[in-house]
Amino acid sequence: MTAPSSTPPSDSPPEMESIRAILFTHERARLHTLEEQAAILAQTDREQGERLRERAQALQAKIDALQQETEKQQTEAVALQSRLNQLRADITAESEALIPRLTKGMSSMIKETIQDSPDEMAEALGPVMGDAIRVQIRDSRDEMVDAIYPIILATVQKALAEFTRELQANIDMRLKSTFGAQNVFKLFSARLRGVPPSSLAIRQALSCTIQELFLIQHESGLLLAHHGYAEKANSDDSDLIGGMLTAIRDFARDSFGDGSDSDSLNEIQYGNERIIIQSSQYVYLAVVITGVEPEWFRARLHAFISDLHVQYAPSLRDYTGDPEDIPDLKPSLVALAATIGTQEDENPEPITRGQKMFLFGGGMITVLLLATACFYLQFTIALWPLAFGDPTFTPTAVPTNTPLPTETAVPTNTPTATTTSTPSSTPTYTPTTTPTHTPSPTPTATSTPTAIPADIITNSSVWVRNQPDINADTYTIIPKNTVVTILVQEDIWVKVEWTSWNGIEQGWIPTHWVTLPE
Amino acid sequence: MKRIIQKKVCLLGDFAVGKTSLTRKFVEGRFDDRYLSTIGIKISRKRLEMDTYTLNLLIWDLVGGANFSKSSAKHLHGAIAALIVCDLTRPETLDGYKFYAEQMRAVNPNAALIFAGNKSDLVDERLISDEKLQIISKQLNGSYLDTSAKTGFQVETAFHWMAEQIEI
Repeated sequence: MTAPSSTPPSDSPPEMESIRAILFTHERARLHTLEEQAAILAQTDREQGERLRERAQALQAKIDALQQETEKQQTEAVALQSRLNQLRADITAESEALIPRLTKGMSSMIKETIQDSPDEMAEALGPVMGDAIRVQIRDSRDEMVDAIYPIILATVQKALAEFTRELQANIDMRLKSTFGAQNVFKLFSARLRGVPPSSLAIRQALSCTIQELFLIQHESGLLLAHHGYAEKANSDDSDLIGGMLTAIRDFARDSFGDGSDSDSLNEIQYGNERIIIQSSQYVYLAVVITGVEPEWFRARLHAFISDLHVQYAPSLRDYTGDPEDIPDLKPSLVALAATIGTQEDENPEPITRGQKMFLFGGGMITVLLLATACFYLQFTIALWPLAFGDPTFTPTAVPTNTPLPTETAVPTNTPTATTTSTPSSTPTYTPTTTPTHTPSPTPTATSTPTAIPADIITNSSVWVRNQPDINADTYTIIPKNTVVTILVQEDIWVKVEWTSWNGIEQGWIPTHWVTLPE
Repeated sequence: MKRIIQKKVCLLGDFAVGKTSLTRKFVEGRFDDRYLSTIGIKISRKRLEMDTYTLNLLIWDLVGGANFSKSSAKHLHGAIAALIVCDLTRPETLDGYKFYAEQMRAVNPNAALIFAGNKSDLVDERLISDEKLQIISKQLNGSYLDTSAKTGFQVETAFHWMAEQIEI
């Protein structure tokens, strides 16, 4: 044991030393153990420190290696970057050089591709064409308009030419068509309404094509019959369409009408096609057409559907979808389609020989009748005075002559007499009347004034002057065709009397402004 | 060639019970669902081959719920049967059975009624018992079946039941 030897020497007696040894033995042993443990720990610390140092050295070596690696990689990165830049510059240069070469070959390549595989080219370009055009229109509308204009113009011209040709053919056919009372009535009726025959011809020449016909029950929307002309006729889905059409009608009625049955949808237009709907009590007829329907179209539909009701009203009302409950209406529908599709207006028949003869005969008879009527009229007029006397002459002859002599007797009855004597009728009548009424005093005076005043009219609107002088003042105008009475004549001037709004007026006008009517 | 008989039937039920889904997969149609939101109707066709005739069921799918109006009721005219649908996960849609049945019977007292509880595939979310559905259907003088538009469970059966109940 080393513990006792380690204790400090003391001057105490041996007993004390023994007691002390006994008392501290345990502590000494414990102290010794602790010293050993401390030694072990110090050893362990030294070893761990050694290991840590070694590890730190290793790590440091690694760090150094990594740093070296990083530096090396950085160097390489710089080299790569410079190489990349070089490559980029090379590519740019090459692409710039390539563009002219590719441009040269591109058009030929595209051409070849289009020639070799047009479908593939169309497939490839198709999806972007619409967008490309839209973008181009957005960005440069004017250029696109200029580019597309010739195409559109040609297309429109072509369509218009076709339409015009068709219209012209229809009008020609119509002009050669049957001359019927109905056509005459239409023409006359249109004329009365201010529609010229040419417009009527154009209106009648506009074509109308029947596409499909649907006969549908009102309330249920069940399809009773369907007939389609067009290739795209909806034969398979006609029952669905019938139902939806009914639903749309109901929707329109409930939304825009007052909900009553009288407010129903009569027509639907979409694109070039229209659905003409003719309704009746239990069923309605929907006709899909293109073009402009003739004026009798609806009337024909109405007549058809009315006939159906007259014949099959109970069946139409009670129909629940079983075709055995109702007669086959498709033939009727086909017949209607044939009637309104190949209408008389669409294919008018030319005038037959018999009709031409009838027209010629009718014209000749009309001319003969007119000639006979004229002859009879002339004969009647000539013989009328002999048969019944001249009722118009007596009042003019007597009363107008009697007041005038004071004015007309003196001046110039002679010149007026010469002018008025020219008409052939007056002299023939005067002899018969004058002897009876004024037998004695002045036969000349009575004859001249009677003829002049009544028949002279102005041949134009003429200024009236207060003196027979061109420099004299004008104070009014006599309108054209005014009846005047010549009172006095001086050289080229005549003093006339006429009746205006202001009453009887007088004034001077040149003689050449008055003439006798034929 | 068998004669083709067309019959108008209606598809009724509250909003989002799955009516349109029932018709979408199992019937022929050319009209888009948008018709339902615009004019309130979409018509499809179910062609069923019977022994002596071909039956074309013209299915008028009417918009339901609050949008079912007086004018919607007009579309029931001429319908010979109706498929009335509720959502098994929404108990409030069960009230539609009575409402639509009355609407239908007001127009056609003899109309055949088939009641369907849709969305039967959502087993965990089901809130209406089968017993209750059977009782209500019987009270309204109709037949009941579970359906699932998602899995197609009994959808064909519903149309066949309807066809069998239609008197030709």
